[in-house]
Amino acid sequence: MTFPVIKGAAYCLVHAPDMLLHYGTTPATERTVNPDSEYLKKLPAYLRSYDKALAYAPNQAYLGRLGLGELAAMPRPWYEKTVDGAERFGPYGEMMPEPEFIAMMKVVDTFDLVWLEEGFAAEIADRLAAHPVLSGMKVGAGKPLAELEARLADHHAALPLYTGGKLAGIVRRAHDVDESLSAHIILENLVTKASAVLALKHLLAREGVKPEQVEYLIECSEEACGDMNQRGGGNFAKAIGEVAGCVNATGSDTRAFCAAPTHALIEAAALVQSGVYKHVVVVAGGTPAKLGLNSRDHVNKNIPAVEDVIGAFAVVVSEDDFVSPRVRLDVCGRHKIGSGSSPQAVMEALITEPLDRAGLKIADIDKYGVEMQNPECTETAGAGDVPKSNYKLIAALAVKRGEIARTEIESFGASHGFVGFAPTQGHIPSGVPIIGPVREMILAGQATRAMVIGKGSLFLGRMTNLFDGVSFVMEKNPGRPASASKAVERARTRVGVTVHGSEHGEAEVVRGAELAQRMRPDLEVVLIGNPGVKTSLEVIDGDCIGTDHREMERRLASGDLASAVTLHYPFPIGVATVGRVVTPGKGREMFLATTTGTAAADRVEAMVRSAIYGVACARAAGIEEPTLGVLNLEGAPQVEKILGKLAEAGYTSVRWATSGRADGGALMRGNDVLGGTPDVLVTDSLTGNVLMKLMSAYTTGGAYESLGYGYGPGVGENYRQIIHIISRASGAPVIAGAITYAGDMAIGGLVGKVAEELGGARAAGLDKLLAERAAGTAPAPGAGAGAPAAIVAPPEKVATAEISGVEIMSLEDAVQALWAKGVYARPGMGCTGPVVLVAPEDLAQAKVVLTEAKYL
Amino acid sequence: MDMENQRRVKEYAEKFGKENVVCILGGAEAEASGLAAETVSNGDPAWAGPLAGVQLGLKAFHIFEDEIKNQVDPAVYEAQVSLMEMVLDVDAITKEVSTIRNQYANW
Repeated sequence: MTFPVIKGAAYCLVHAPDMLLHYGTTPATERTVNPDSEYLKKLPAYLRSYDKALAYAPNQAYLGRLGLGELAAMPRPWYEKTVDGAERFGPYGEMMPEPEFIAMMKVVDTFDLVWLEEGFAAEIADRLAAHPVLSGMKVGAGKPLAELEARLADHHAALPLYTGGKLAGIVRRAHDVDESLSAHIILENLVTKASAVLALKHLLAREGVKPEQVEYLIECSEEACGDMNQRGGGNFAKAIGEVAGCVNATGSDTRAFCAAPTHALIEAAALVQSGVYKHVVVVAGGTPAKLGLNSRDHVNKNIPAVEDVIGAFAVVVSEDDFVSPRVRLDVCGRHKIGSGSSPQAVMEALITEPLDRAGLKIADIDKYGVEMQNPECTETAGAGDVPKSNYKLIAALAVKRGEIARTEIESFGASHGFVGFAPTQGHIPSGVPIIGPVREMILAGQATRAMVIGKGSLFLGRMTNLFDGVSFVMEKNPGRPASASKAVERARTRVGVTVHGSEHGEAEVVRGAELAQRMRPDLEVVLIGNPGVKTSLEVIDGDCIGTDHREMERRLASGDLASAVTLHYPFPIGVATVGRVVTPGKGREMFLATTTGTAAADRVEAMVRSAIYGVACARAAGIEEPTLGVLNLEGAPQVEKILGKLAEAGYTSVRWATSGRADGGALMRGNDVLGGTPDVLVTDSLTGNVLMKLMSAYTTGGAYESLGYGYGPGVGENYRQIIHIISRASGAPVIAGAITYAGDMAIGGLVGKVAEELGGARAAGLDKLLAERAAGTAPAPGAGAGAPAAIVAPPEKVATAEISGVEIMSLEDAVQALWAKGVYARPGMGCTGPVVLVAPEDLAQAKVVLTEAKYL
Repeated sequence: MDMENQRRVKEYAEKFGKENVVCILGGAEAEASGLAAETVSNGDPAWAGPLAGVQLGLKAFHIFEDEIKNQVDPAVYEAQVSLMEMVLDVDAITKEVSTIRNQYANW
């Protein structure tokens, strides 16, 4: 049995002393209740510099630069010591200084709510540009100090962002009266978002998962984003993934106070285990509210305000790689509604109940992850050493069960746990901080099993008096089972072919299918639809092309079929087919990208995408380094130019073939088509279709296609099925070719190859290059003589008002019509379908324009 | 002791009479338990909550102290408290709470 694995973990801190002063709830409440207190007067003197906080041992441990064993061996108090060789960047992430973090808040703000002071903005831009994992992020220009101060003077309109005691920027409210969009809530939410983005960027920069491979994100902080009609509407997750370039992901937020990260990890593992997604990220940022939570006690006891860092983490859970530690989903604990609230009841529900089910004893778990708060934050405030008390409780439970001796209680924490090292940011210290260190220990053979426990105080929300908690076990990966790998080799790949609709009759399809089965014993060819003739192949019921298609879709979706061959099948816009032919000159095989469908509405963009899709198909077919040529058609030089720029920027899949004509070059002529010069020939879809027909039927006159592999699989971004197209004229040899081609694509992992190629092209700036091209092109309709001048977009506005009812195919035209009238608009997706988005103040006018132009 | 609890203790003392109210504490540590005992007898030492400067003189016991423990059904005590009793510093807690009680409690 396989289990999901912990593929990687990242941990980051943000040093935020000015935020502590202004937005920590302890000092902020004191300012309201007791503005002249001694505590408030003294507090600034107890704040630490960045260098002091950086060299603080628990912080270096959180970044992974100081081992947890070394931290435990270091005599307390830690705040009086500094770690030699302390550095900003560690194995798990970094500790970001406050000024850069303020700039990050600006970078992740998509609604122009953060305004930076112009001097500060200019100074910080270079520092962010030089950042190893954030270098693509642009801060933009700031605004004059006077403008910021004017906003601050308007009561409640904005809140200040200070650093080093100076005003660096402001956070503006997003609505005049909506309290859910007040400056205070926007500020907290942007801190959460920005710190989560920081951790996620570090995760994706250092672990084996690329942004575009992430399919789902679960955000598990303790904030709420929304407006007055849906105060916790959410989706921090998607907002964070957007900034980190997780273009293939969606996500959602999970809330359960401090227990949320453990809940989220179990959810992530379950989504992977069920096969819904392959890579799921669990991520959370921290909060300014908890900065300086116990600072009153720290000041009273004359120790530094050590709660001066915001915490963040990100963990990626992936399908079994047979190396990384596994998540044992069969050993999860949960505190049930009926469990009871005594410490014993809680510990039994979370620890011994799941362990009993798995036949494990308490001491069989090498390391427990409990609330890992740094004890120097909590001890002075009377809360004791939180992890230490938790370990004692677990040990006491083991004593009660007769599993260990009473004398072992005191030493249990050292042997089965760690010293506390995480900032007191609620969900941040809860169980998850041990995942990174324990993952390394398990990989190094120093531990076999660990349990991550998340607990939450639900009563703080005043909806229930209940307590909550969940737990799961991380375990050493036993590796790939020998028998499983052999079974994979033996298993045949099931490829379906629909039997109805051919001009040559059902018997011809059966003949092709049987031919393919004889040629390829590693495939299991399945007929979809009753053929009316005798056959040894498996037959799935169906009596016309419509029922064949539905059955094919159902079985592809369920995984019963790995790929399929059919005809007359409509692909969505954005999906085009990559054909495969045997060229007549020397019998060389060549991929034709593309032969039907529409990769993109714009001709040049379509051909650029086709090149990427063609390479993906060639690679899935086993050609490791396919060569590319662009057929010399209208737009071909632009296609060559864009692909050339991608190659320069590091997209290694652009390997040009050289034309067989005397003048060479990557633009292909008729000779190259006949001779099969490139492995992948890029054409527009209509030309490709004609070439396909010529190459497969030049010996028969056209009514019977006798050569090659058919029009190929539909390929597009996020298109997950492998459906190959043949024509009604395709004869048995082409049908057999198409089935073997479909088998190759399933075995070669076409969908993954497409994602890899798109990811590589994206990393080299594909989206930017296409956007630049789109910006430089006049709108397509009516281009040519007498066409109107290009419509220029009016200045961009925050467009949140939705207009629904515009036909999806007319959406872009409707946007253009609004632009022509000076109304800023953009297309988008609403809850009920495609919508045009405009600024709220333009809504009425926009509706009139669209009604007059008959879009509504 | 937090503001809300101070407010409730004060309200109960007024409603039922100081002589009829005993506070039972569940603090996990001696100093915090002692501060709670002081708050309900001599007033809030932090001078922040409703009991600042209010000397209710209430008796406070920790759940670990025999006076209270012996009145609890042993099975319930076993299920609810015994695990914590095993891991906390019972002697320090009971000493601190009883010292404060003997010093300030009137009833």
